[in-house]
Amino acid sequence: MKLDLEISSSSPLSVAIKFSKLAERGSLNSVWIGEDLNAQREIFTLAGIIMLETSRVKVGIRVTSPLARNISTIARASATLSQIGRGRFRLGLDAARPNALMRGAATLLRRIWRGETVTFTSDNFRLGNYYARYKPGFATPIYFGVRDKKLLELAGETADGVILSGPKRYIEKAVAIVNQGLRKRKRRGKSFRFIASIPTVIVDKKSDLKMAREAVATVLAETPKAVLEMAGIAQEMVKPIKAMMAEKGVNEASRIVAEDLLREVAIYGSPEAAALDLRLLEKYGIDEAIFGSPYGREPVKAIREMAEAWRRLV
Amino acid sequence: MEKASIDFAVGLNAYETVEEIVDKCVEAERLGLDYIWIGDSPPHLYCPSVAAAVASRTKKIRIGLGLLSPLLHTPDQISGGIIPLIEAYGDRFEICLGVGDRSQLLRAGVDTRLAKVWNYVLKAKRKIARSFRASGAATKIWLGAQGPKMLAASRSFDGVLMNYASPRMIKWAIDKVKPVARKDFDFGIYAPSYVYRKWSPQAYRLLRVASAVVALGAPRAVLDEFGFSKRLRRAKKEHESGLRIESVVKHVPAEVVDSFSIYTRSSRLRSYLSELGDLGISHIVFGFPQNLSKITIRDLASALPFP
Repeated sequence: MKLDLEISSSSPLSVAIKFSKLAERGSLNSVWIGEDLNAQREIFTLAGIIMLETSRVKVGIRVTSPLARNISTIARASATLSQIGRGRFRLGLDAARPNALMRGAATLLRRIWRGETVTFTSDNFRLGNYYARYKPGFATPIYFGVRDKKLLELAGETADGVILSGPKRYIEKAVAIVNQGLRKRKRRGKSFRFIASIPTVIVDKKSDLKMAREAVATVLAETPKAVLEMAGIAQEMVKPIKAMMAEKGVNEASRIVAEDLLREVAIYGSPEAAALDLRLLEKYGIDEAIFGSPYGREPVKAIREMAEAWRRLV
Repeated sequence: MEKASIDFAVGLNAYETVEEIVDKCVEAERLGLDYIWIGDSPPHLYCPSVAAAVASRTKKIRIGLGLLSPLLHTPDQISGGIIPLIEAYGDRFEICLGVGDRSQLLRAGVDTRLAKVWNYVLKAKRKIARSFRASGAATKIWLGAQGPKMLAASRSFDGVLMNYASPRMIKWAIDKVKPVARKDFDFGIYAPSYVYRKWSPQAYRLLRVASAVVALGAPRAVLDEFGFSKRLRRAKKEHESGLRIESVVKHVPAEVVDSFSIYTRSSRLRSYLSELGDLGISHIVFGFPQNLSKITIRDLASALPFP
């Protein structure tokens, strides 16, 4: 099992580069860049810069919508990054839409990358005699960052991996659904990656727990009902948090996050304890765990310590 | 002609590997060229990421990105592609907006038949300029223009890159842009180019293809103005039917091709540059196939009036 780091496209560039270099120096497997649509930095450009500033760590986009750009742009931006990173680039796709969109996106991207001349018309994509003039024949891995049951199954059928985010029990069940999709494949994708993202906070003092509570309140406020149901979390437990978030903000909402919710949705503790908790996800079939924001009171120290704890553990 | 009066650039179409493009840019910088322009088109590599790779290996050469089409990228995506480049590599980037190659956009499923497309590009420019100002960037925004309406719209930009090469056509285009209120407005051209010391049939064939693309993409008003419409009818029809440009080019008359390209022996380039200098041109981008190899880039550099 491997450890990845997540950064955000809204972070200052110097911070994004610094964290990515820390990940590389700490022998982490991958850096995932979360796309903040309000950020001033275009995510493929940012990924290119990070790739140029590092030499070993994989760099992924987590995640972009296949509808945010023309599909030919996603294809060529990925092609460019695959060349810059010499195979280190990973593309995360997500759309809260029907299966046809995600299936279509993955199929089109792969056809373009193979160098085919593509004509395709659907509600979402239109290509007419389109072919790439850049060097074809590479395969950027496509990861679906999805939560819906049908899309999870589709990820197993179609993608090169899946990025799961949600409470721990949800992740366990989501893996099982993705496996249903994997079983439908003609050829079992041996390299298929299960990746899990859970808010993780390195806690030095008891007061640092507030950060974990805030992360949980933020995550729960935007977690779909279906995900909560799969995790066995009653709506009644989450409703007051959502209401408090909307009314008074994250600070107040974090105060009413119950202890069991905190344990279910986040990972926190000393670097050793957090690393061990993340490692426990392996029993569900997870191949990579993402260590993401808020990291800890001192992010640089937290990332360093986490990388060190992970190295000792693994 | 003083070197300071005209900036010289080589244009790169990003369909080679990133490594090959970067190597050529490093060579262009070593040879003293002022600019590199990295093209952006649906079948090519993604120009902001290519620009990052180029900037990471060069020191001072200015890097132009474009033509970037607001029909293909949102204004936020365009400004968001430049802002991190400036943060990482300094303020040496410029962009050129424009509609783009309509046949390539169509293949990528982009509808180019917008009414008042020039106005659409202009609105995008304003939004991009606002984002640049908000981030503290002073990035120059050019407009790539060919037809009368786009040429007139360029007055609202920092400069215009015209798809012309023959002095007669350039003069006509400048007259369509004028009057320009801003004193620092730049007139530039971006044309398929082949400036050679030793002529190569392969480069010439590629020049014909590149020029044919420009000619076939020219607005009707331009083709009518210069008497090319009738002569391009067959080629245009075949091109619009989806035939690859390489198959269509044989139906584009050589004199039409020549009008849209810079094609000369290196020893004769200076008189052409003088003529353009007299017209008020301050920026020349030598487009494909001048970038064919480091040798063709060196041939160009050897002919330029560097101090």
